[in-house]
Amino acid sequence: MEEATIKKIWEDSTRQLERARVLNLQSWALNLRSFEMMQLQKAKSRLHALVPLKLFAVVAGIVWVLFLGLLVYGNRMANPFFTISVAIIALFNLLAIVVYLRHVVWIRQISYSESVVATQEKLSRLQVSTINTVRILMLQMPFYATWFWHISWIGTARFWLISFPAALCCAWLSYWFFKNLTLRNMDNKWVRRFMLLGPEYRNLLQAKAMMEETISFRENTVE
Amino acid sequence: MGKTESKEDLLTLVQANEGIIYKICHTYCTLPDEREDLAQEILYQLFRSYKRYDPAYRFTTWMYRVALNTAISFYRVAQQKRGIIALEGTHAEIADPDPGDGEHGLDVLHRCLAQQKELDKALMLLYLESKSYKEIAEIMGITETNVATKISRIKEKLKHAFHQH
Repeated sequence: MEEATIKKIWEDSTRQLERARVLNLQSWALNLRSFEMMQLQKAKSRLHALVPLKLFAVVAGIVWVLFLGLLVYGNRMANPFFTISVAIIALFNLLAIVVYLRHVVWIRQISYSESVVATQEKLSRLQVSTINTVRILMLQMPFYATWFWHISWIGTARFWLISFPAALCCAWLSYWFFKNLTLRNMDNKWVRRFMLLGPEYRNLLQAKAMMEETISFRENTVE
Repeated sequence: MGKTESKEDLLTLVQANEGIIYKICHTYCTLPDEREDLAQEILYQLFRSYKRYDPAYRFTTWMYRVALNTAISFYRVAQQKRGIIALEGTHAEIADPDPGDGEHGLDVLHRCLAQQKELDKALMLLYLESKSYKEIAEIMGITETNVATKISRIKEKLKHAFHQH
């Protein structure tokens, strides 16, 4: 079929749609309050609904880090294992807070007025970067197995048979997650099982697909 | 310009170009309910993005950008039911066009559109709308050369789809 005929089919169908005028914008135009109401309800818009969630995580994170800071200050190396472990946990949480704050800035910068590819790319990057927060937080895992250690334990068999191997296991697990919890490994059986525990997995898969689509869309390859 | 005047300006412009919303809703949603939700979401996004409208671009270029960005994002999360407010005293209802002589051709066209990925779908729609390469490049954010390459592929796809039926 000729190009002109195909376009004619499209034009005819869209003319029918426009003739129907079923969207009734005229009525909406008379009711500007509806738009005011929509603005008030903007939290329902999916993207901006993320802002309060991220901000809540930031506030909760700050409270948690302050609490950990107080513990570190209170202990003041009385038990070096406790002080160092808690300080490192606080540091990783602080990093996660920074990532969350960066997300809030990104969300505020995303505008649907920009070109389609640029906007969709930013949206996908925002979604896929959530995986980095999980990776950072995973790194604190071994320190949850060391904060209660005491210098007097080191000579005991219980320490070398239970506490130390448990901490090593946690360290290996946290390293494994940090190394493997990447977009590239989303199809890995164990990564998938772990990610399925959270609600973000499907979003991440969609975002990954869209990011790949935007990258290939930008490429100007002649077949 | 006052806030209300500017809103009224926007509504007048949107009304003059409302066909864009119909076409995008039809391209990205198959279910009438989804089309209604998408139309509302597009109108909402147009309203909240208007302050960022750059008059250096044509209004329709901006409207296509906002509407397509909204539709693609909407399409991606269509499975996750969202709460969208019902507009007081109004009801957006975007029905299917009446079947006519070109029904078969239109069916093939819609099927071909439905098979495309989100960005290719947008490009195909803009091509069918006979937009210039320059305007398509501005809406999509790719080079004119890239647009030309992709359009030639789209033409092939369409030809192939119509040949098969």
